[in-house]
Amino acid sequence: MQIDVVCDDMYGGEAYAKLFENIIGDIGKSFMIVKAKLVLKPEVPLFIFSVILKNAPGCKVMSEAASFRQEGDELYVSISNERYAPDVLSNLWKTYGRPNVDQNTRFDLVVRGAKQEDVENMVISSGEEAVEEILGAFWRALPEGIRVRDAMIDGKVITVIATEEIMVKELKDEGVLVHEGMIKEGEAIPDV
Amino acid sequence: MFEVMMYDGGVYRSAELFEAIEDVGGTVLHMNRSAQMLMVTMSIPEEDRGVIESISKEIGGDIRSVPLAGTEIAVVGCTLGRHHMPHPVCDIAEIMRQGGAISVVMGLARGRGKKTSQISKREIEIIDEYDAAVFMFGNFKDCVEEKKELLEDIHVPVILVCGPQPDGMEDCCEAVISGVGRKAERMKSSDERAKLAEISDAVNEVLMRKKKQLEEDPLFIHPAELKLLLENYEPIDMCLRPAPIVLHLDGLRVKIPYREHKDYFDNLIVYGRKLSEVADIVESKLEDSSTLIKIRTMSQIEDMDRGA
Repeated sequence: MQIDVVCDDMYGGEAYAKLFENIIGDIGKSFMIVKAKLVLKPEVPLFIFSVILKNAPGCKVMSEAASFRQEGDELYVSISNERYAPDVLSNLWKTYGRPNVDQNTRFDLVVRGAKQEDVENMVISSGEEAVEEILGAFWRALPEGIRVRDAMIDGKVITVIATEEIMVKELKDEGVLVHEGMIKEGEAIPDV
Repeated sequence: MFEVMMYDGGVYRSAELFEAIEDVGGTVLHMNRSAQMLMVTMSIPEEDRGVIESISKEIGGDIRSVPLAGTEIAVVGCTLGRHHMPHPVCDIAEIMRQGGAISVVMGLARGRGKKTSQISKREIEIIDEYDAAVFMFGNFKDCVEEKKELLEDIHVPVILVCGPQPDGMEDCCEAVISGVGRKAERMKSSDERAKLAEISDAVNEVLMRKKKQLEEDPLFIHPAELKLLLENYEPIDMCLRPAPIVLHLDGLRVKIPYREHKDYFDNLIVYGRKLSEVADIVESKLEDSSTLIKIRTMSQIEDMDRGA
């Protein structure tokens, strides 16, 4: 993840880049972000956090993270994308109950009473959730007192503008400018 | 001058250690026995350190200096929100504990923000109950300097820990440690551990100044001596709260309610005088189930006697 920081306070700029990286890493979304831009103006105060995602967030279904083999009443599931292993498992537990899901190895499961066509299309991660988590990480990274916030989401670009008291037009315009700049940059980056 | 040391070893022949502490005129501040292991925090005269060290070695224990023992330190974050907790506030509190202090983590109700941050009178009164307060501010110079007003009315020594080196804070804090701002991870690297050690040293230095002041005009009774007297009182002996008596440089925090035990505290005889004559005894502002005893100095008592 590339992080560009615009800040006059050298210490604060570096510290916030590290903080942002850590917080995004904590929620496990670093892999989704291609580039982040942080505009930090504590003297105003104005904080703009903007990220370009690899793809516009969409739903992820079971078949994108696992492969299947039906044998009679039992469905053999082999998780191919480790990142979604917890989501695969929790969805199977929720639908078929824990006693019907055997986990033989870390990635191999056997589900009793499951049909491949039902499981294949199960949603394991919605795009909305990912955006919510990224916005949550933004809230965490932004200074606590900077509470007046505005979020903009366009395709694969998410931008948050935040200030302490009143969000005047000039501040918002500055945020929109950063957001538009990131959209342009995002267009040049092919979807993965 | 008295020095606070910690013995860490087995219980084998520990009676010899206790005897030696008594012989040199020292006091046991805290003792923690777990199975065959024993930890003793003691206060001994500086010149007798060698005696205690040689006995500890002889009985197979380690002895080390715990310069912050006998103090209670508040580590204050801007708020208790996840932006400011647990790191690095809790790392600082932990390093204080390693130095022997009792450390308490607290957050202000409205300490966040640049223009909107504030501290209430009650918060100031609570912080003033401690021997020193370590304040943890953020990463931006502007914001740290703007928050100066949070520290201005605090009477106990303040050690400010923040990211950049701020200007113009010297008049409201005893020490400023820069290089530790907001963090989302534990302070584990060697540089960060060195920074924590620097904070601990700064707190020690500030408290040492306070100790030297107290030496010039000593307290009527040393808090450790008063602790020994209070320990015999049954409600304190039976108190299940951890560390029912906490030592301060100039007094004690006793974790039983003042209202219920007023008569005992006021009339306890200390060197021929009532405790209420030689100390200010008040209910803690933090919670009404604790009592705060601030021992008066000899000069204060002489003044009082002259006035009477």
